[in-house]
Amino acid sequence: MTVVVRIAAHVFKESVRDKVLYNLVLFAVMLMAASYLIGQLSAGQDVKIIKDLGLAATQVFGLFIAVFIGIGLVSKEVERRSIYSLLSKPVRRHELILGKYAGLVLTLAVNITVMAMALYLVLGYMSWTETEEFKQNWETPATDPALLQALFLIFIQLMLVTAVALFFSTFSSPILSAVLTFGLYVVGHFNTDLRNFENIVDSQAVGILAGVVYYLLPNLAPFDVKAQVVHAQPISFGYMALTSGYAGAYIGALLLAAIFIFSRRDFK
Amino acid sequence: MRATGWWERPASCAIVLMLLGGLSLSATVARDRLYAGEQTEAQLLYIPSGTVLERVALSFDALLADVYWVRALQHYGVTKRASGEKRYDLLGPLLDITTSLDPRFNVAYRFGAIFLAEAYPNGPGRADLAIALLEKGLAVMPDRWEYYMDIGFIYYWWLRDYEQSAAWFSRAANVPGSSWWLRSLAATTLAAGGSRELSRQLWQQMYDSADNDWIRNESARRLTQLRALGDIDQLIGAAQEFHRDTGRPPRSWAELVDAGLLVGIPIDPTGRPYVIDFSSQTINLSPESELYPLPGESLPPPPPSP
Amino acid sequence: MAGYAISLQELTKDYSVGFWRPRPVRALNKVSLDVNTGEVLAYLGPNGAGKTTTLKLLMQLIYPTSGGAEILGRPVGDIDTKRRVGYLPELPYFYDNLTAEELLWYFGGLFGLSGPDAKRRAATLLDRVGLEAERRRRLRNYSKGMLQRVGLAEALINDPEVVFLDEPMSGLDPVGRRQIRELIQSLRDDGRTIVFSSHILSDAEALCTRVAIMAQGTLVAVGHLSDLEFKTLGWELVVTGSDTQALTSLGLDAVKQGQGGRFVVDVPVHRHPDELLPLLASEGFSIVALTPIHESLEDYFVRHVTRHASTAAGSHELNETPQTATSSPKR
Repeated sequence: MTVVVRIAAHVFKESVRDKVLYNLVLFAVMLMAASYLIGQLSAGQDVKIIKDLGLAATQVFGLFIAVFIGIGLVSKEVERRSIYSLLSKPVRRHELILGKYAGLVLTLAVNITVMAMALYLVLGYMSWTETEEFKQNWETPATDPALLQALFLIFIQLMLVTAVALFFSTFSSPILSAVLTFGLYVVGHFNTDLRNFENIVDSQAVGILAGVVYYLLPNLAPFDVKAQVVHAQPISFGYMALTSGYAGAYIGALLLAAIFIFSRRDFK
Repeated sequence: MRATGWWERPASCAIVLMLLGGLSLSATVARDRLYAGEQTEAQLLYIPSGTVLERVALSFDALLADVYWVRALQHYGVTKRASGEKRYDLLGPLLDITTSLDPRFNVAYRFGAIFLAEAYPNGPGRADLAIALLEKGLAVMPDRWEYYMDIGFIYYWWLRDYEQSAAWFSRAANVPGSSWWLRSLAATTLAAGGSRELSRQLWQQMYDSADNDWIRNESARRLTQLRALGDIDQLIGAAQEFHRDTGRPPRSWAELVDAGLLVGIPIDPTGRPYVIDFSSQTINLSPESELYPLPGESLPPPPPSP
Repeated sequence: MAGYAISLQELTKDYSVGFWRPRPVRALNKVSLDVNTGEVLAYLGPNGAGKTTTLKLLMQLIYPTSGGAEILGRPVGDIDTKRRVGYLPELPYFYDNLTAEELLWYFGGLFGLSGPDAKRRAATLLDRVGLEAERRRRLRNYSKGMLQRVGLAEALINDPEVVFLDEPMSGLDPVGRRQIRELIQSLRDDGRTIVFSSHILSDAEALCTRVAIMAQGTLVAVGHLSDLEFKTLGWELVVTGSDTQALTSLGLDAVKQGQGGRFVVDVPVHRHPDELLPLLASEGFSIVALTPIHESLEDYFVRHVTRHASTAAGSHELNETPQTATSSPKR
């Protein structure tokens, strides 16, 4: 197991050296600039808008990190042939996959944590500079702890996207892996429409097919609770548990498939 | 020849994959069954333009709603300040898209309630759009008594349908947590709909219960308009007295002052003099007054929509 | 039990080439070979002969189609065996953002070395390959030769008993090549078993005990270098001295004037250096370098493969079969 840990630590270090974490600086700057500028434009909605913006940006930045580092985990190493060095060590092939995955998840976790802190700082500042009377009209407090629920589900979703990217990366080129992963990300948000297909479409076969595809493809829309959190709708623990459980099972399947493909592959 | 783990063999892999697939399937089914409402299914109910945008927005609808909200505000503000013919055509669609993307965007509904119904030149004068928007909000949030109240208000102030107005105030009163005065308001509207005192009370209540600045400002403006109406009533009284005394209507404020009926040139609460129109024998606000136009006047009709 | 360090048994690898109608291409054809402990084996062959394929099969980067191999008595791919093996891939490529030190620490850690151990070994090795001064620079700033040395250090980080080097001399200037040669010699002196591949014959000469020659996936010859009939085509002689006239008077015609009073002479094969050198000395010339020009490996193959084409395919040993190797491993 320590091999997995070492590989994970190396992936994290590579990410840091690749200046991935500089995206955090961009995030913080953007949030602060936005909070300053939109205050005048939005008729008192600036806290809501900052929450929306902060959560959305966390998701988008995290998505790019998940995809671009995710595909590099295996694809790029195979392309550049640095994989030979790794595989000639006493590292079992599945340990390599698991270590790479753990390293990227760690990078994402650090990224999201820092973004969460930055977001709360900005919201805290906005709250501090606002009058009590005005604050009474907010649906939720500025530094609402429920934001953490949204951030948690964003993190879980990104773990799933990372697993997808890693899976594609075990057998296709970096570019193709990126395209496929982004593609699945987009499709994953249209998934809910598939469920209602059978109600709209006449042909039963098409409805069943749509249903099968719905359950097969990753369904990403339920991870998005950003709007609910901003509007003070509670998110039950049961919902979070089931959605996380879905992600966990799906991630397990993807990692298993990745390990299967990777273990049997020739590295010419 | 080499030692293979179970994960390298197709058969065992397939079995575990099916197990995991079953797990993910059951999690999905369970979640869909238990928490169907927590999905934003409400978004599927609304008119196509909003839904198309919502699909494209992937999971960033709330943020996109914010963008459209800001655009709606800017459209209104820019149009209002423009000289010449004012077209508020985009206000309805923008607010509609905003609320399709984020059905719980409370402020957008309340803004529409006031400014969509607002008569030209300060708004498009579309009470129908305002009511439709509020009803849309009620479909998602049926416990928002303010929306019932706002609809009642529109019927009262713009459409002068006092029966409908009382009915909506009544519905508002039935929502738990609503303002205590709504029930008596419903009754009084039926009895004395259109009376200036009732109108004043209504606007005063709006002012007191306002949860943001522009509702408060709008209410204050209406109250001031009502005061102006009261002033005009008194000025008309003075003019009539002059007519009785002299046998003809007054031609200017100076005559009334000379006759001792007025102390000085009368000014409206914003400081502008009232105008007296000899030919039509009316007394009104100056068109340059901030309070212009007064409600219930014969106003220039809004330009026809394309 | 022979106790061979490395043993290949009819190792075969086919690749499927082509997308629409894949045809199998045989990259390695029933190669059988044994390597004794402490031996240095030069694995020679032109490009595409299957040398790299063999090494990759031994490191389990690819899987055999049939046949097998053992390292240190255990089947290839055994994790514990990998701890005792070092590997330098052809054209190694590393993680740009790390320094040489950090790379070795990382790989040392993967071998299970503790932090301080890894650091100590890394420092020693970097010294040994001549990179002590640049060890803190990022690898992206390294030249090809420097990367090759890092690769060597990496191959040795776990103090392996068996070392596989795929084209260890590539990318190096003559000084570098000499350094690597010396390094391999010292590894041999340590008692390690070394297999290195090359497509240049002269690389093999100074170092190896035995030579295995590959061509088109087949093992063509195995044996001591001296026993293999490599034709010498002549010598290249570099001397300093007076003038070309003295050289032509000795019957040497192909003379080129080099820099700094040097002359480069192509000595034909019938003029053996043993008789030539005293004559040159007497004319006042001093020898700078004398290099034999062998027939290339390609020419060798053409000779041998066509000669043996009528006989059965498979390995052609000239004077040894692996099972009966009795000559002592060290030269």
